Amino acid sequence: MIKTEKLIKSYGKGDLELTVLKNLSVEIGKGEFVAIIGPSGAGKSTLLYQLSLLDMPTSGSVSINGKNMSSLPEKEKTHFRLRELGYVFQDYALLPELTAVENVALPILMQGVSKKDALRQAEEALARLSLTDKKHNLPSQLSGGQQQRVSIARAIAHKPHILFADEPTANLDSVSAEPVMQAFADLHHEGQTIIMVTHETEYASKAGRVISLKDGVVVSDMKTA
Amino acid sequence: MKKALQFKRELQNALRVGWFLAVRSLRRSSKWTTTLIIFIMILTFLNLVVVSGLLLGLISGSFVAFREGYSGEVIVTSAAQRSYIENSQNLIAFLTHHPKVEDMSVRYGVSAQILGTLTDLPGKNERANQIGIRLIGIDPVAEERLTRFSRFIMQGETLRENEEGYLLIGANMIKKYSAFADANIPGLDLLTNIDIGDRVRVSLSSTDGAIRKDFIIKGIVKSKVDEISTRAFITDKELRRLIPVNKNEVQEIAIRTDEAYAPALVQEIKDFMGNYAARVQTSGEAIPSFLRQVETTMGLLGNALSSFALIVASITIFIVVFINAVTKRKFIGIMKGIGVSPLAIECSYIFQAMFYGIVGSAVGLLLTFAVLKPFFDAHPINFPFSDGILVATPESALLRVVILLVVTFLAGYIPAKIIVRRNTLDAILGR
Ligand SMILES: Nc1ncnc2c1ncn2[C@@H]1O[C@H](COP(=O)(O)OP(=O)(O)OP(=O)(O)O)[C@@H](O)[C@H]1O
Ligand SMILES: [Mg+2]
Repeated sequence: MIKTEKLIKSYGKGDLELTVLKNLSVEIGKGEFVAIIGPSGAGKSTLLYQLSLLDMPTSGSVSINGKNMSSLPEKEKTHFRLRELGYVFQDYALLPELTAVENVALPILMQGVSKKDALRQAEEALARLSLTDKKHNLPSQLSGGQQQRVSIARAIAHKPHILFADEPTANLDSVSAEPVMQAFADLHHEGQTIIMVTHETEYASKAGRVISLKDGVVVSDMKTA
Repeated sequence: MKKALQFKRELQNALRVGWFLAVRSLRRSSKWTTTLIIFIMILTFLNLVVVSGLLLGLISGSFVAFREGYSGEVIVTSAAQRSYIENSQNLIAFLTHHPKVEDMSVRYGVSAQILGTLTDLPGKNERANQIGIRLIGIDPVAEERLTRFSRFIMQGETLRENEEGYLLIGANMIKKYSAFADANIPGLDLLTNIDIGDRVRVSLSSTDGAIRKDFIIKGIVKSKVDEISTRAFITDKELRRLIPVNKNEVQEIAIRTDEAYAPALVQEIKDFMGNYAARVQTSGEAIPSFLRQVETTMGLLGNALSSFALIVASITIFIVVFINAVTKRKFIGIMKGIGVSPLAIECSYIFQAMFYGIVGSAVGLLLTFAVLKPFFDAHPINFPFSDGILVATPESALLRVVILLVVTFLAGYIPAKIIVRRNTLDAILGR
């Protein structure tokens, strides 16, 4: 369902040129839970940005459902992200002026859904992440773990094709990280396609497939279960 | 066609989401910042309306004073090189029966000398205590009806219809009362040692030699209208007895009519007069031309100051919105990252800027029409040649509201656009 072909991403020019992704070709199917691991600087985040259309590869292509996405204009990429993709950032990336439920409702609202329905869908998503009693809190009134769960709720509320997450537990202690990881596992059981970057091998083992990156190349690609 | 429809839908949605974001952003922003920005907007609005309004008002005040205190809406005077309005009596009859003429005051006017010191002869090197002046004969009743003449009396009393031997004199002709007394203008002679109750000698030159008569000063008249404060007044009956010829021809007819009708009346009078010579003008035309030039200058000055105020305000809003957007660059990136359209984000910033503009001009309007205008109407600014009021019509104020809102719109839109255009990922990662 999502596929890269000869993906190259480099930064800088001339002597300073740094190639971060080197001829990367991977294919991920529907319903898979993929963990991307590797040492710092391996290019994990960079890969995720290409897959989620937040960035443009230097060469090669990303195609989703057989359609080459790299050539789409910016506006259509934004539109595609809105409808088909969900993204969970390492630092939660909630909007500080919106409450939990408003944060989650925003992308739904943007799809043209009425405010009432958007807020209702947002509340359902928050309920799935056991955050009903915090829905009217501002991000500043939530713990890190709670903020990350709001961020997940926002990423899944519109039922995206693919859910991306870049080290969603990196800023959390193990107690807060646990329910966050559980949420991903639950979503996976319901058939959600998930692509997650993580440092922790323990969490990687929850995924059905682990892709190991080093210096911009895939060094191993294994199914776990 | 299909594209237009799609854009319309996009725009509607962007407006909706932009509103959702703007309302929450405003509600949760710092109250101090909001108050400060609105305060700046109010000041800008006042700058636009009140500064130019007061500048114009300084002059408008003098126009109003001229009309109400001297000319009426239409004034007929002797034509150039003529000593009286030709065909006077027929014109007066015509005006008396004209349905649109509400009131009028017919005045005689001659050149005269007034000698202030009657007892001592001037010393060898001194000039006599004497001035040249325009001596006006008024019908005290008609004049009072038209201009409420008695309000100009600063000392003493006004003239009564049938009394004789009394004279009123303009404050600017007497050293003790003149606004120009200490100006030492060469050739400007003022009467000295003269006050209410004193006897003065009036002389008119005529072809058969000088006519002299002594009068007692009954009152001093003072106004910012020169035609009052630099002239002398006696009753029309007495002046008519004094002049040797043309006793039935008058020099001024001030007419009260509907202001809007004034130009039409001027034309009717001109038509009636035919070949008879007279100068027929509306109040506005009769105003000394330097005042009209001052009005134009004040208007220009007001507009210049307004433009500066507008530029300063738009830069202020621009900076506020720009800083606001810069500090939220990361969040703007995130919004774009999760699929919020740039248009919706821009709308949210425009709404916020418009909020400041609308609240600012609403409070400004309220201050202008509920506080400042009534205040200046009750307490005009004391200006040498007028009582300054605040000129602010709803139309001119509304125009300024529109200008301010257009400026606010641009000052909100442009910085938002600059920030929103930046690369999404760079914004999110803060690089
Ligand atoms: N904008 C950029 N300009 C230049 N180099 C960059 C840029 N972004 C990333 N890099 C480089 O690309 C390499 C890969 O970065 P990336 O963020 O993908 O690593 P990562 O695998 O996610 O590491 P971490 O585990 O520390 O998050 C790094 O060496 C980094 O310095
Ligand atoms: Mg990374």
